Amino acid sequence: MSANGVSSHVCETNGCGAEAKLQCPTCIKLGIQGSYFCSQSCFKGSWETHKVLHKKTRASNSGLSQYNPWPYYMFTGSLRPYPQSNKREVPPPIGRPDYADDPNGFPASEQKLRGTTSIKCLSDEEIEGMRVACKLAREVLDAGVNVAAAGVTTDEIDRVVHEAAVDRECYPSPLNYHGFPKSCCTSINEVICHGIPDMRPLQKGDICNIDVTVYHRDYHGDLNETLYIGEVSNTAKNLVKTTWECLQKSIEIVKPGVKYRDVGAVIQKHAHSQGFSVVRSYCGHGIHHLFHTAPSVPHYAKNKAVGIMKPGHSFTIEPMISEGTWKDEQWPDNWTAVTADGKLSAQFEETLLVTETGVEVLTRRREKSGQPYFMD
Amino acid sequence: MNVVIKKGCKLWNRRGEIALGQRFVRGKKSKRHCPITVLGMPDDDNIAMVVGEVPEQDDDDEAPLLVDAPELPRVPVTILSGYLGAGKTTLLNYILTQQHNKKVAVILNEFGEGSSIEKSLNVGHAGELYEEWLELRNGCLCCSVKDNGVKAIENLMKKRGKFDYILLETTGLADPGPIASLFWVDKQLESEVYLDGIITVLDSKYAQKNITEKRPDGQVNEAVRQVALADLLILNKTDLVDEAQLQFTTQLVRDINSSAPIINTQRCRVDLDKLLDLHAYDQFDSQGYETILEGRFEQGSPHLDQRVRTVTVEVWGSVTQKGLDTLAEVLLWERSLVTPSGEHPLIYRMKGLVSVVGEERRVMLQAVKELYEAEPVDAWPPSSPRSCKFIIIGENLDEGTIRQFLCSLITETSITLP
Repeated sequence: MSANGVSSHVCETNGCGAEAKLQCPTCIKLGIQGSYFCSQSCFKGSWETHKVLHKKTRASNSGLSQYNPWPYYMFTGSLRPYPQSNKREVPPPIGRPDYADDPNGFPASEQKLRGTTSIKCLSDEEIEGMRVACKLAREVLDAGVNVAAAGVTTDEIDRVVHEAAVDRECYPSPLNYHGFPKSCCTSINEVICHGIPDMRPLQKGDICNIDVTVYHRDYHGDLNETLYIGEVSNTAKNLVKTTWECLQKSIEIVKPGVKYRDVGAVIQKHAHSQGFSVVRSYCGHGIHHLFHTAPSVPHYAKNKAVGIMKPGHSFTIEPMISEGTWKDEQWPDNWTAVTADGKLSAQFEETLLVTETGVEVLTRRREKSGQPYFMD
Repeated sequence: MNVVIKKGCKLWNRRGEIALGQRFVRGKKSKRHCPITVLGMPDDDNIAMVVGEVPEQDDDDEAPLLVDAPELPRVPVTILSGYLGAGKTTLLNYILTQQHNKKVAVILNEFGEGSSIEKSLNVGHAGELYEEWLELRNGCLCCSVKDNGVKAIENLMKKRGKFDYILLETTGLADPGPIASLFWVDKQLESEVYLDGIITVLDSKYAQKNITEKRPDGQVNEAVRQVALADLLILNKTDLVDEAQLQFTTQLVRDINSSAPIINTQRCRVDLDKLLDLHAYDQFDSQGYETILEGRFEQGSPHLDQRVRTVTVEVWGSVTQKGLDTLAEVLLWERSLVTPSGEHPLIYRMKGLVSVVGEERRVMLQAVKELYEAEPVDAWPPSSPRSCKFIIIGENLDEGTIRQFLCSLITETSITLP
């Protein structure tokens, strides 16, 4: 340890030993610790031997993804699927939504209302129910965020989320919804949304979104946040920050009389001002007794969303903002949505209630004055 | 690496309209000669920024000059509705087996209810018939904007190449409105399909009975709805009825829907050209509008107490953008107008050409049920006074009430009138 308490490093190059303040970027990306060098020329000198380290790490990382379930599929980015763990169970006394026990995860109650555009106004009792469910959803997300770190698998996050939900008498809504195999969605880097938790460990430099929805006493609460795993690139930081700002700006306009159509314009304006694009294939949605219902809230401008906000409406806004193109693709697992160009995508979501005078963010964070986790 | 380039900046080789996907080269004055692909569009309120993607390494060779991104033709989807036995299937089979050099896909019985995984699609090309399968993926139905059926068709076209036309047959008693809504996709989604229009096939012999039949619950019956929403009407089996009956039925249909042209057929033999390229949702047929007006002054019709009618309204002047939104919301969402007889108009279909304050071009309004879209189309013809005109088809329509409401929204009138 040097005098001012900061550990100093020594150059990796054999026989060098000079003070090293530079690091190999590939090692950072692969999560390899301690690749410090004193200068570029020194680094170049030992490149031949150093790069073997990368190769070895990549090989061992892909050891688990010798697992290649779709050999014909052209991935758009570098993320690969890893094996998944077995389906988790939710013990009996906890209230289950209708799709939980359907073999295909088919939500009959939602299908009944498919195509209608009329939006439910919640009664006072229902609003209270939503408040509780959303508060619990935030607590469950907290639990998941607390374990998310480099080296931790997304499956582990899923386990923690699942148990946190069960501990609070909640059913994790994604589980078996239309057949979704896990209890939350973990979306890394180029994955836009609906990433399935698996055995892949998070790596330094990843951005990871954890999307939690819980079902508590017949109400669903839905929220998500994107986190930094270790040190991330400046582009990633800008993207995540911009996405969060898009959500905040759109929440600011929510109040009775505003058209659902107008939310997208606010989001798109801010995203474009930073040079990013807005994913168009997925939208916010009404949520209460049903996981997804009217209204549909697109995040892009010039859409045909039907409906005007009234007190008692509850819905989510969940902008997905991408570094490159807005276009998306789907993995052959029929769930994971990825950017068509393999570039990064971030997302934030809250469940909102329209009040007489404005909006109440039902899933808001209660500590640290509500700031998002990436700012912690 | 993303680069933000300001529109109008001298970096661009070319000014004017930029399309998504177009490739540009940075200007000659710039040292870095590299191709840029447009990934994002500037906003309407003049945030003049375009996102471009610059490749990681500079090319050693001279960067290629401007390349126009080819416009990808979109495939029209036509919805075919009509009662069982009217002749829809005959029509579709006829289309499929006809010798024409178009690749036509036909989907029978729409997508139905429930969660079927696959749906067959029949393709006719140069007289040859074959079958394809649409995969209706179940996952991600939840918060996706595009309907499963639309996505399935797009996926199929990606694999098998584009069709020239897609025809979707609905089940006999279906209301074609909801299906049409699924295919009337936001332009921003850049779908490869677009809604061309709704065709309703009627059996000349039974149309009168079907249309005038009263439902036990007092609601408007399906036959009337199917006629009201049609952009083209086919009166089939004309050989089975006499002239008087045909006249009567034609007038009955006209009363409900004065906007859609009517074609008389026998055994649904009709030219493919007449059925396709209706452009019902992206064009306003001014000629057709005039025809309706002329038709109004023709001989009195057998005014059977039809709840569903067509009404035309035209008012001089312009509305603000907000006024136009209010018009659509009040008429389509809130339905708060009250007619003299104390009823609320319920609009099935609305088309209009509107003058909007501050907008140089005519704004076309298209609406079906609660979905509506207002897009500027073309410039006002010179020396033509600004006006707002609408064709409205629906229940309990009272021209006077609607006209009065529209007048209340007019904020500007042209000073010079012809």
